[in-house]
Amino acid sequence: MQSEATKYSGGERTGRWIWSFEGRMMLPALVILAAISILPLLYIIWMSFSNVTLLGGAGITSRWVGLGNWARMFSDGTVWSGWLTMVMYFVATVGLEMILGIAIALLIHEVVWGKNLAMSLILIPMFVAPVIVGLLGRFMVNSTYGLYSWVLSSTGIFTGNILGGKVSAFVAVVLMDVWEWAPLIALITLAGLVSIQPQVLEAARVDGANYLARLRHIVFPSISGIVIVALLIRSMDALRYFDIIWQVTGGGPANATKIIPLRLYETAFRFLHLGYAATIGLVMLAVSILVANLFTAILRQRGLAG
Amino acid sequence: MRKKVSRREFLKMAGAGLAGASLLGAAGCGSGAAPSGSSGGGMWKQFSGMTLSFISENTAPTSAIAANLTPFKNLTGIDVSISQLELTAVQQKVALDFGSRTGQYPIVYADPYNIMVPLHDGLADLKQFINDDSLPSVPKGLDDFIPTQLDAAGRFQNTLLALPYDCPTIIWCYRSDLFDKYHDKMKGDLGFDPAPSEKVTWEQYYQMSRWFNDNAKEVAYGTGHQAKQFTSLTDDFANVLWAYGGDFFENGDKVGRLGAVDPGPSTLDKPEAIRAATFYKKLMDIAHPGSTSWDWNDLGEAFGAGELAMCPCWHEFAGAWWIPGGLENKVWFSPLPTGPARSANHYGGTGIGVNKWASEDEQKAAWLFVVWATSPEAQLMDLKSSVGGGTPTRNSVYELHQVKKNEKTPTEMPNILTAPAVRKAWEPQNIGLRPKTPSWNQCDAVIYTNLSQMLAGAKSPEEAMRDAKRGVDQTTKGVPSAV
Repeated sequence: MQSEATKYSGGERTGRWIWSFEGRMMLPALVILAAISILPLLYIIWMSFSNVTLLGGAGITSRWVGLGNWARMFSDGTVWSGWLTMVMYFVATVGLEMILGIAIALLIHEVVWGKNLAMSLILIPMFVAPVIVGLLGRFMVNSTYGLYSWVLSSTGIFTGNILGGKVSAFVAVVLMDVWEWAPLIALITLAGLVSIQPQVLEAARVDGANYLARLRHIVFPSISGIVIVALLIRSMDALRYFDIIWQVTGGGPANATKIIPLRLYETAFRFLHLGYAATIGLVMLAVSILVANLFTAILRQRGLAG
Repeated sequence: MRKKVSRREFLKMAGAGLAGASLLGAAGCGSGAAPSGSSGGGMWKQFSGMTLSFISENTAPTSAIAANLTPFKNLTGIDVSISQLELTAVQQKVALDFGSRTGQYPIVYADPYNIMVPLHDGLADLKQFINDDSLPSVPKGLDDFIPTQLDAAGRFQNTLLALPYDCPTIIWCYRSDLFDKYHDKMKGDLGFDPAPSEKVTWEQYYQMSRWFNDNAKEVAYGTGHQAKQFTSLTDDFANVLWAYGGDFFENGDKVGRLGAVDPGPSTLDKPEAIRAATFYKKLMDIAHPGSTSWDWNDLGEAFGAGELAMCPCWHEFAGAWWIPGGLENKVWFSPLPTGPARSANHYGGTGIGVNKWASEDEQKAAWLFVVWATSPEAQLMDLKSSVGGGTPTRNSVYELHQVKKNEKTPTEMPNILTAPAVRKAWEPQNIGLRPKTPSWNQCDAVIYTNLSQMLAGAKSPEEAMRDAKRGVDQTTKGVPSAV
């Protein structure tokens, strides 16, 4: 006799499952979910083929333009420039967060006394709303009264205006994001570290493996799956990053921090060109799906995802 | 049954003597009496019990109004719930409200450039309320508003969409203590009288800034600016642009005062505009290095913290600076320096209007609030407010004895210390008006992005102005772009 699990597995699963008792119980929720996700998606796809605008104030007006928005977007230098900044930003933030997060997790894992207290303190930034991180960061690097500005200029490390230079402003917003989200990577990595059998590490130590060798041959292979999950989570977040940059630089100076979500926001809600913004948003969605699939494929390859 | 007295009947009865009486009455606000000079009585109570939402930028006048809504409640029986947000958030919420036609915010802070003109079809033409005998009239009439402000903040083409509510204007704010101390030495070193006035040229302003950089230990830099890649940068640059004879569009005066759906081609690539950009870059090279990351609030804070000897800044910061232990008795004001063409002082005032998509009763009730909030009494209340307050948009308030008295130190109304400078700044030949055109938000972004690139050294002034012209022309033709 087939178990319930096997009965509804395989290619015929969906069609039969939906009419099962469980399926019928879940149907109303699924219909609502579809209504609030699929219908807006279809609407946005339609918008991307139309000139939809709120300009004028007489309600939403639209005019079918076919592939006009898509053609314009692919030839719009500002959009490409936004994507380039986005890639640089993505690599810098996610890269630094991974390195710092893993390093923090390894350090905390070695702590014998006060581990919980240390972890609690390190996690604090993660619980602050990104918009508050932006306001706080802007306050700290303000050239008139900012503590960081004062320390950097007093010590002669950096005497310019942090948010006034293209490179320094970019570095500042990257570090603000890293400050907030490296603890998340540390938390996830620590969960992976705790799951490593202490006997395995002990045996390696007895066999004469030093710390670096243990990291390379035991620790990293053991936590690689969970690190990829952490990477996936942060990558999805980084692609829709907005709050901190909007608060701190607004995309300047000279567009140095104007990543694609900022351009999307301005196009939709400042310039009120919703159709063109929908086109940019759909490309962002496609990129997010691609990145997510890439990580899922890696996890599947390692036998860590179904 | 309530006997209605029409507006015209009432005005006939009241006669001309009311105007004089109202000036005296303006001092006695807060009682819940009808604004002086306005039709009164039961007209104000007809929507008693209603609750209205007012969405506004987080400005000092709205803070003052929010802190003292009791007189309006007593007068009308209407509750007003005020949402104060940052300007771009206000614009976004109003656009969505108009887009959905829900009329969620019957009273709207109608910034002429970001809200009133881009969303003009969502605002009611106020002439319908002015001509409605069942509603109170504008106290002292529309003529009491400063004419340039009524046009710039209230009109779009042939419609009246808002009444002037606040009037921030960029003027020359300077440390009078330092100018007093160094006047003779500066005059000797520079070879001209450095006393700030609209007769001083921008070139002389530059020389004075450099002089302060090199000689005054009390401040870090001579000048500072609101030159963040943001609308504040366009605002700051525009003073120099107009002073040098340049403009954003061919009929700049008309487009600035009454607005246009199609403002025509941009003139930002004209030699005057390029000369202005070249000078602006030169000035910014010696300005406080923080300038390129400052918006108006940051600039106000920096000046208040004693970082700068002078700056072009919105005049409504005066009240925040004039505090004991701060810059009290150390700061004074003048119209901005002159360029080859004129002294141009950027007016950034805003009106309040009525949401066309609100119900008819809500619109009428909203009109009551608009009339009250822009009345001489409310403006005087603003001026005296302990939470800041703005400066009046009505001539009659500036004529009040208690206001005139406070234009000089010692004063109980620090904001009004700017009155002699701003009154001169608002004269038609001195006022600087941004273009009022529906796509201005996108034009603005094009301009400040190019200016920011110029200040960062990524573009020359010529390149920045030519690219800005190209972007603005595309924008006014309706081409969407991410900027």
